[in-house]
Parts: sequence; structure tokens; C-alpha cells
Amino acid sequence: MRSFASVVKATALEVLSEPLTLLVLLAALALSVLAPTFHYHQFGEATRMARDSGFSALFVCGTVVSVFGTIRAFRREIESGTIQMALAHPISRGGFFLAKALGAFAAYLVFAATVLCTALDVIEGARIGGVIAARTGDIARLYGPCLAAGVAVMLVPLVVGAVLNRFLRFRFVLSSMTTAFVLSLVAAGACAALDRGLLPRHLPPAALLVVLAAVFLSASAALAVRFRANAAAAGAGALFALFLPFVGNYYMSDALANGGSVHWGYVGLAALAAAPAALAFLVVGMRFIGERDVS
Amino acid sequence: MNETEDVVVLSDVRKTFRDFWLRPTVNAVDGLSLSVRRGEVFGLLGPNGSGKSTTIKMILGLLSPSAGKVSLFGLSPRSIEARRRLGYLPELSYLHPFLTAKETLLYYAGLCGLARGEAKERARQLLEMTGLSAVASRTVGGFSKGMARRVALASALIGRPELLVLDEPTSGLDPISTKEVKTLVKALASGGMTVLMTSHLLADAEDICDRVMILDGGKSAAEGRIDELGTSLEAFFLAKVGDAGDFRLAPFLS
Repeated sequence: MRSFASVVKATALEVLSEPLTLLVLLAALALSVLAPTFHYHQFGEATRMARDSGFSALFVCGTVVSVFGTIRAFRREIESGTIQMALAHPISRGGFFLAKALGAFAAYLVFAATVLCTALDVIEGARIGGVIAARTGDIARLYGPCLAAGVAVMLVPLVVGAVLNRFLRFRFVLSSMTTAFVLSLVAAGACAALDRGLLPRHLPPAALLVVLAAVFLSASAALAVRFRANAAAAGAGALFALFLPFVGNYYMSDALANGGSVHWGYVGLAALAAAPAALAFLVVGMRFIGERDVS
Repeated sequence: MNETEDVVVLSDVRKTFRDFWLRPTVNAVDGLSLSVRRGEVFGLLGPNGSGKSTTIKMILGLLSPSAGKVSLFGLSPRSIEARRRLGYLPELSYLHPFLTAKETLLYYAGLCGLARGEAKERARQLLEMTGLSAVASRTVGGFSKGMARRVALASALIGRPELLVLDEPTSGLDPISTKEVKTLVKALASGGMTVLMTSHLLADAEDICDRVMILDGGKSAAEGRIDELGTSLEAFFLAKVGDAGDFRLAPFLS
């Protein structure tokens, strides 16, 4: 168990230390925070705009991190030879594969939580902005403090990461990712205190996207053990294209737009439907790693 | 298993590498049999491409033999129980560049199943032993080859192995570090640890090993105790493998 946990932790650290992960996070945060601030394309629906941007960022950028983060973690392990060192230790090959996949998923969860929390901050900012606009007759805008918090989640981590790296030799990317995660949690916590319905409404649809990412991640892990990075990415891309027409069912933006939410029971059903696919990919991956020569 | 039993046994082992279409490409190991006894330092010597690393990887369970049988502590090399008792230093220091030296040791301590407190204490001891305490919190991606080698060696020792497998242990080290590694291996062996090492540096093997096997073309060309060779290891090696090697320098030198 300890060896399993050790691989999970190291893989999560690896994915969160990737410059690519930080770049994609910044892109996702920019999409979440900046898109709804341009009032000329809100069409009077600032909150919906904020929600759509946030969830789109979570879906698209989250998929990129889950797929590429996982492929890179596995391929680097195989191509750099560190897998030889690991598999010479008392851990089964199947256990090693599962632990790496779980570590990549843990890193994805940190990424997804950061994007979702920032999106919640922006959604709340749009709601308050709409209330103020209705009272003053002005154009609806993001509420200033929420916008400031969103921008802070984007920029402050870079400064903190640079300072910690310069004076304490901390890893820049990891420090930045951690700071962004903590700041976004604080911002979302403050917004949830202002609007009690914020979390109950938005957590179920976000959970649907996490379920979807888990399927892509397990497929990417299986492909990365057997094929080179480009081929594995192409395979994962093909799977994504197959899934895309059905993503509307997961998204449920209409339910949210009408003031409702997705029922947790629906999330459970989606997870049940996704579980066989994810499990099948994991079993295939374990078989691939069990059969391969490691050299 | 009792104390006199063989730790590693290979019986008529063959390894043929195949391409994508399963066509045989290389016979890396061809009918090799050997045994490593408890407490001895066994050297697997041979020129480049003689099958030393392939043999080591089959012993570690990283490669499956095409034919024959490999046993480690009387068990399959893939068995977790067998691997709990070994430490491995690969030919190149394969390390995660994003981890610090201390995190690297804690990672391998975790893989060995050491409890957190014990892992931290063991990591501290090994960092001190390898002279890396001052750079323990620096990521190993920025380390020199020699420093990375020390981290890899410490990683191999962190689980207090009974069998230490060293693939070219002095590869990339300067003369002082080479001497330190040789002293360390001798000290470990005198403490009762079984050591299996490969090398193409005959002086290293002569200094450290109790018994050697010379591989050539994936086969055993000779085997014997160092103190029974009756000649220097270099002379013995050249007699068995020949001095032609891969290079024919004479025409250029003349």
C-alpha cells in the first residue's frame, strides 16, 4: 500500500510540475475570467455567459490536462528509464500502472478544482453585477471584487512562484499551481458564503465533467503504455471525437440556465455508465504493462 | 531458503529480441547458466553488446526470457517477495528530474514499503553517506552525472537489500568517486550483502569481485574465482574474448 501511495504522490507531483499544466491552467483561467468581462457580447445574460465560459474551460482544458498529463507521465517514465528503477522494487506491474493513473487523476482534480472555483467566483460576480445593473439601470458587469479575485488567481501565483523560486529554490510551476489552487478555494468559499445555492447548483454538472475526464484519462493511460506519445495522443483524440456528439447530454447547460441544476442521481447514473468503459481501459492498460519488456 | 543456497540462478536462459512483426532481430543471450551465491561479489564482464545488461534485466524481471528459467531467492523475478530483497543501480542514473534528492530517496523508500519515520531517517543517513546532504532539497534534474549517480546508488540501498545489483556502477564517475564506490561495495559485501555487478572495466572487477563470468556474444566464455585465475584479469579476459574488439585501429595508427 505504501509503495502504491508513493507512486500516486510522485505522479501527481510530476503532472503538477509540468510547465504545460500551468500554461493550460492560465489559459483556462483567462477564458473563465476574461470572456464574461467583455460586456458587448453578453446579450443581457451575464451569469449564463460566465457559467458557459467557466464550464467550457473546465471541459476543454481539463480534457487536455487529463489526456496529455497522463500520456506524458507514462511515456516519460518508459522512455527515460525510471520505470526500470520502479519495477525493480516490490510493486506489481498492475499496481504501478493503477497508481500512476490515479496520480494523474489526482493532479487533474487539483486542476479542475482550481478552474471550477475560479468559475464560481466569476459566476457570482456576474450575478451580483446583474442585481446592481437592475437597480441602477446600468449595463450588467462583473462585480468588481469578484473580478479582482479572478484576476488575482491568474496573476498572483506567478509572482508567488517566482519569489519562492528566487529566494527559497522552490519549484516555480508547483508553487504557482499550489498558490492558484489555494487562492481559488478562498475566492469560491467567499462567494459560496454570499450565495448558499452556488455550490449545490454547480457541483453536480462539474462532477459530470470529472466523470468524463476519468474515462479519457484511463484510455490515455492504456494507450501510453503500448504506443508512443504521438500515437497515444492520436488514439485519445479519436476517442474524444467519438464522445463529442454526446457531450451535450453531460453538459446540461439549459437546466442550469433556467435556474435549476443537475440532479445528483443523474451524476450517479452517468458515473455508472462511464465506469465499465474506464475499468475496461484500465484492465487493458494493466495487461499491456504486464506483457511488455522494460528496457 | 537457507544461508548456503544460491541467491540468483539462471538455467539455459535465452533472450531473443523481436521487431514489431515478431521477427527475431538479436539473440542477446544464448543459453546462459549461472548462479550467484549468498554473500559473494559476482562480476558479469564482457565487451559492449555481450548481453550483460540484458541478463541483469532478466534477473530483475524487467525482461522475460525467451527460453530457460531465472530464479531470484528461489522465486520468480516478478514476485514481489523476491524484489523486496534486492536493490538495483541501472547503467544510467534514471531519476525523476522534478523530484529533489530527498524526495527521490523518499519515493524509493516508499516503493520499498518503509514506514515514513524510518524512510526519513534512512534518507538522511544515505544523503550524508553519499555527500549529498547540502543539495538534498535541489531537484535532481540539475545535478551533474556524478551527483545523479550518487543519488541512484543511495536509492538502490534505501531498502536495505540482501542482493545489490549494480549495472556498470562506476559509469560516468571521476576517479575519486570511482574509488569511493568500490570501497562502499567492498564494505557492503563484508557486511554480508550479496552483490551482482556488470562492468567492462576490468580493474574495477578485479578490485571488487570474488568470482567473475565473462560473457561474449550472449554466451559464457569463462567463469572462475579471481584468486584462482593464475593471471591478471585483463590477461584472462583477452585470452577468452580476444583483443580484436569492434575496432581495428592498426591500419590507422601505422
